[in-house]
Amino acid sequence: MRSLTLFLRLWTWFSYRQLYAHRWRALAVLLGIGLGAAVFTSVRLAVNASLHSFTQSMDTISGRADWSVVKPGGRVPETLISDLLKNPSVKTASPLLKTYVQAGEQAAREFLLIGLDPILDRALRPWQMDADALSASTWLDLIGQPGTLLLTHKLMASLRLESGGDIKLKYFGRSSKFRILGVLNSQGLALADAGYVAITDIASMQEFTGLHGVVDRIDILLKSTATVRDIERIRAALPAGVILSRPSEAREAGRMMIDAYRLNLSVLSFVSLFVGMFLVYSLVSLNATSRRHELAILRSLGASSKELFWLFITEGAFLGIVGWLLAIPISSFMVHKLLHSVSATITHLFVRVNVDRLKLDPWEVLLSFCVTLLISVLAAYQPAREAVRVPPKEAFLMHDRSLPGHKPLIFPAFVGLFLITIVLPLPKLAGVSHVPFSGYVATFFLFAGFSLLSPWFLAFMGTFLPPLLRYVGGQPAYLGSRYMRDAGSRIAISVGALITAMALYVALVIMVHSFRNTVETWVNQSIRGDVFLQTQTGSVNEYRDPLPGKVVEQLESMQDRIDLLPYRRVYLYEGNIRYLFEAIDFSIFSKYGRLLFLEGDSPAIMQQLAKGEGVIVSEVMANQLNLKIGEYFHAKVGGADFNMPILGIYRDYRTQGGVLHYSLKHYQKLTGDLTWTGTRVFLRNDQPPPRPSREAIMQQLYRIVRHTPGVVVTIGSDLRREILRIFDETFAITTVLLLIALFVAALGITTTLTVLVLERTRELNTLLAIGASFRQIRAMIFWEAVLMVTAGQILGAGCGFILSRLLIYVINRQSFGWTFLYSVDWGSLSASLPLIFTTALLAAIPASRMAFRQSPASLLRER
Amino acid sequence: MVWITKLLLLPVMFFLGAALPTSGYAEKQFKSVTGPCNLHFPRDHGPHQDFRTEWWYYTGHLESEEGHGFGFQLTFFRSRVTPPATVRYPPESPSAWRTDQLYLAHAALTDIPGQDFFHAEQMARAALGMAGASQEGDSTSIFLKHWYARIEPHIHKLGAETDDFSVQLTLKPAKSPVPHGNSGYSLKGRKKESASCYYSMTRLQATGSVFLQNEEYPVKGLAWMDHEFSSAPLEADLVGWDWFSLQFNDNTELMIYLLRQDDGEYSPASSGTFVEPAGRVQHLSREMIDVEILEVWESPRSAAIYPARWRIRIKPLDLELIVRPTLADQEMLTPESTRVTYWEGSVSANGSIEGNALHGAGYVELTGYAKKFDAPM
Amino acid sequence: MLINDDSAIIRAEGLTRVYSMGATEVTGIRDVSLRIGRGEFVVLKGNSGSGKSTLLALLAGLDQPTRGRLVVAQHDLQDASQAELVRYRREIVGIIFQSFNLLPTLTVLENVCLPALLAGDPLVQVKPRARQLIDWLNLKSRDNHRPAQLSGGEMQRTAIARSLINDPEIILADEPTGNLDSLNGQTVIELLSELNRNSRRTVIVATHSSLADPYATSHICLKDGLITESLCEV
Repeated sequence: MRSLTLFLRLWTWFSYRQLYAHRWRALAVLLGIGLGAAVFTSVRLAVNASLHSFTQSMDTISGRADWSVVKPGGRVPETLISDLLKNPSVKTASPLLKTYVQAGEQAAREFLLIGLDPILDRALRPWQMDADALSASTWLDLIGQPGTLLLTHKLMASLRLESGGDIKLKYFGRSSKFRILGVLNSQGLALADAGYVAITDIASMQEFTGLHGVVDRIDILLKSTATVRDIERIRAALPAGVILSRPSEAREAGRMMIDAYRLNLSVLSFVSLFVGMFLVYSLVSLNATSRRHELAILRSLGASSKELFWLFITEGAFLGIVGWLLAIPISSFMVHKLLHSVSATITHLFVRVNVDRLKLDPWEVLLSFCVTLLISVLAAYQPAREAVRVPPKEAFLMHDRSLPGHKPLIFPAFVGLFLITIVLPLPKLAGVSHVPFSGYVATFFLFAGFSLLSPWFLAFMGTFLPPLLRYVGGQPAYLGSRYMRDAGSRIAISVGALITAMALYVALVIMVHSFRNTVETWVNQSIRGDVFLQTQTGSVNEYRDPLPGKVVEQLESMQDRIDLLPYRRVYLYEGNIRYLFEAIDFSIFSKYGRLLFLEGDSPAIMQQLAKGEGVIVSEVMANQLNLKIGEYFHAKVGGADFNMPILGIYRDYRTQGGVLHYSLKHYQKLTGDLTWTGTRVFLRNDQPPPRPSREAIMQQLYRIVRHTPGVVVTIGSDLRREILRIFDETFAITTVLLLIALFVAALGITTTLTVLVLERTRELNTLLAIGASFRQIRAMIFWEAVLMVTAGQILGAGCGFILSRLLIYVINRQSFGWTFLYSVDWGSLSASLPLIFTTALLAAIPASRMAFRQSPASLLRER
Repeated sequence: MVWITKLLLLPVMFFLGAALPTSGYAEKQFKSVTGPCNLHFPRDHGPHQDFRTEWWYYTGHLESEEGHGFGFQLTFFRSRVTPPATVRYPPESPSAWRTDQLYLAHAALTDIPGQDFFHAEQMARAALGMAGASQEGDSTSIFLKHWYARIEPHIHKLGAETDDFSVQLTLKPAKSPVPHGNSGYSLKGRKKESASCYYSMTRLQATGSVFLQNEEYPVKGLAWMDHEFSSAPLEADLVGWDWFSLQFNDNTELMIYLLRQDDGEYSPASSGTFVEPAGRVQHLSREMIDVEILEVWESPRSAAIYPARWRIRIKPLDLELIVRPTLADQEMLTPESTRVTYWEGSVSANGSIEGNALHGAGYVELTGYAKKFDAPM
Repeated sequence: MLINDDSAIIRAEGLTRVYSMGATEVTGIRDVSLRIGRGEFVVLKGNSGSGKSTLLALLAGLDQPTRGRLVVAQHDLQDASQAELVRYRREIVGIIFQSFNLLPTLTVLENVCLPALLAGDPLVQVKPRARQLIDWLNLKSRDNHRPAQLSGGEMQRTAIARSLINDPEIILADEPTGNLDSLNGQTVIELLSELNRNSRRTVIVATHSSLADPYATSHICLKDGLITESLCEV
């Protein structure tokens, strides 16, 4: 190849000027690419911010600890500290007590309060008080002065407080005034929970929360000379129920879940970019084919075919790069909108994250750039190859002898069909560490298969439909549909884009509907209960805070009017996987509710459960840990060893991992732990009259709770509604992404139609010359659009139905562990299809305007 | 020279005394030393909880059978964070962690033939068995994690284990406790309250073992113990002090305490004590003590210039000594906590008293050379 | 507007067509006045840039004059509406192009039927007419073939058939032999001549070649947009 400068000059003269001359077309493509790249980048940045916030928070809280002494489901006795400190292999041991508290009069802000021993903790977690010339307070005053704390700048600002001032904190109904000693430097521990954190002395923490005698955990930093034997000795010396665990477990568990979510969203957002690829293809393709004559001239003047090839590749790259640059302002807008909803979704689904700042990761930027560039270049490859095939002698021809290629359609169609058929068995391969590779591969095959099928389908339509359509739409309909048959791969590509977007739309509509339907069924059958009682900060503080004994007593005294379904919840870990251990009263549960078992005889299983003969696990947990019915499950709960057979697997859509159920009565007997995490209340209607009214019972419940602040009462119907609302919210993002993909596809249709019209200027003018009216020609173009869109919708819907099954039974199962009951919302699908149809048709308008830009007299113009 | 950066620094008494923030709490609110201390033993071996600062400080020289010489230091500090009745919101039901006493401990070992220096620090609050000082009958126990000092009527037992070395020693007092100043009332400035109660056990026969670099050394030697308590910080015009404790071959001991003023002169409150073989104590005032710096050493770390050789003359005793460190670099840096840099180490002494040859060993402490000694905690 | 003048089928007076090409203005033809009688075989001659194509486009109803008057078969073209022009193109003229301009996706039969279908005639009526034309033009064996499968001569004969399907009064041919070898070219000219003689259609052929000269009843020569009186030298 000759020098780069020559090439660039050639490109500028030949390609760039052409793009500029038809800049509206180019802009449409750039917009499509820009949107696609923006979506892809924004989604990843938003999830990364959450991931970063989460891991940073976990890391700053775990600090440099090698091990943590914890008691699953409970708290660690503080008396262990002195023995641990005296252990010769322990460099330091530091207790930690942390909880979310509410601040301010209106308890407006919730933040993390960490109680620690500033002396013991020094080596583990870096934090520093801002040097303040005015105040002589030091961290020693945290110890010396009860009820003092240090806040971060962020928290101070958000609560509008000042150093030296007072702050009222609320926890579990307890309220206490704290004095602000100073401000935490923004480093280390101060970065936990996105910076909304405060530190107090552990003594103050215990006095405020009433958690005397216990700590959440004791973190240990070992000496470099510590051996495995030393660690075992430490472990052996711990009392029953207390274990040594790696601090990274919780972090890794959470990180894995967020990673899986990020991958799923990335793939989804990639679709928009992928669809944009079709736009690049159609524009470069247009430029290549409409300028065949010029290409022939270039060849005849001495340009090599390689040079021509690179001209079009560079054109594709140019569109990709400029499109990506266009994505920058779009992403900056989009990402801030996404940030909140993504982090809220992650908090709902997985682990608590607090994000308010976005980190612009140069690697992500590079990734999005490379991906955008790659697909644009790939899109330009085929047209570039075609352009190279133009023989120089065509320069002698007076007109373009570009007759539509008669590529064999049967072979690609067979390949397509083959790919579609192997989509079904392919996902039988398991996912790799929660990444549903086989699911994604199957999806790719599905799209590729349908795309390969589409030229044949169009040809099929173009062969059999025209005579029929002539009755409906006259000669224009005939001509339009006839054109479909011979239009070749060019139309197929754009139809492919529409198929992709359409399929995704249909699949996701079905999936979301199935999901929601199943969740609704689950909510209505398994989340029965008129009233739910739990501690206020229960779930946030990992269920360590049980219902006060007094409340339990009072509730038990009402059992002539109500049925209680108490439960005890404990978060446990199996390797890296976190799950919920829940002990409930099954006989009461069976009276009011039902579990949706995947397999097995429900009543028989419930009976066995009531007798404490085994456990049941949720579908998510079974998938995550590869558990089967009949297998034995082992755990250590409440100090007791636990080894029970799995009696059944059921559907559960609680977020944040899998669930295991066991009989409460038997749990209490095994562990001696009689506390309740919470209880459901069912208002009985089986008593003889006169029955107390519902309102009276409710009033009584409220009264009990009112005198015990910190206990929360939730009305069952409100809870069920709230659960559904959360699910709806999490799919809001998906819906937005889809609509963008559809929009890009519509842009693709517009561009393609325009291309097709422009290519056939001669033909259209000939039609005019031989007696067609403008209306007839416009009608013909509209019929072409109708048929393209119809083909896209039919194939897209077909693809979408298969894809929906993939999504529900494969991808969801491998990513999150759950499946749903398949159900199609025919109503909303059939309502939306005409809408898509109309939108696509509107895309035909600019194209038809193009048809008459050139005067028919040009047919006769001398060259 | 091996530096092991440790987690927390444990400053010597006056570090704490000066370093603790006033935080708006006047020293007056702590119990002050204003006159003779009326020390009684074994009672006063125990902790004096109402005073702000206190320490039990052991130093000494040990030698193995093969003649391998060590200098050691083990100090336990008690620091009261807040004076009584100044707590704003005293809790109704206090946590087991609630205490206003902090304990700090410092262990150091000088390997004289190896020309190496090791040290370690600990710090913990006096709660939940992590640290504390108590008396049971005639015995006093001070401990911080697994370091301890136990003072029984005729025996002191010490133990400390660090990453690099450990010491286990039994000390037998050869002389009675020596109160410094006026019955232990040791003035440290112009004001009456700028004082501490201070006594030493100037000669203790030490036996035990030193464990260093995978080798155990059974050792014998001499140790010195200081016990001091006070609530007063260093007065404003004082930048630091030079402190000497020396044990001689003629069964005598010398303690000198020189407070340096910001004008370069020694404060008139500086003083010393000379202990005769039979135990008779001679108080030395400032005028009696003449200390000349013969050599200096610059720290490569802190760029502080420390005296590194002295000529000490005590005219009334006709005593003249040359004191030199057994190792130049025995500097301690404490970037993590008090941010105090000072020099504390083993020294040897040679000279004469009343014309007779005199030699011995001891410890010297030099503060305020890196920066004026006023670091807050 | 229909004007009654039996003698001339085409009447042009002071016909001018000016094109604006960006900033510049190009005059296609200037002050052209002519009369062509019904049934004439006119050969239109002129070099490149002479205005031949412009004049032909105006006559075909593909363009409208800037100034002047043009009446063809009693249709006043300069003020005609789009609908009137459409009707004109359907009913009055049949056009044959140098590059054939057949629709590539239609068969020979379909191409021939197309103008009639566009005019609204039902297929059942159009097909027999088309077959007749195809037969006459010796294209019967090719009626199901597509343009890509035809030779140049066959394509042009298809184009001729197409131009005749609506039975127009005037046939306009733009360089009909331009893309053909001499034998095919001769055939095409003879066909046009036959059309002119047998059905008294007015045939106007714009051409460089001299093939049509022997059949011409008159010549019109253009040079630089103007009609020259003398015999055209091409």
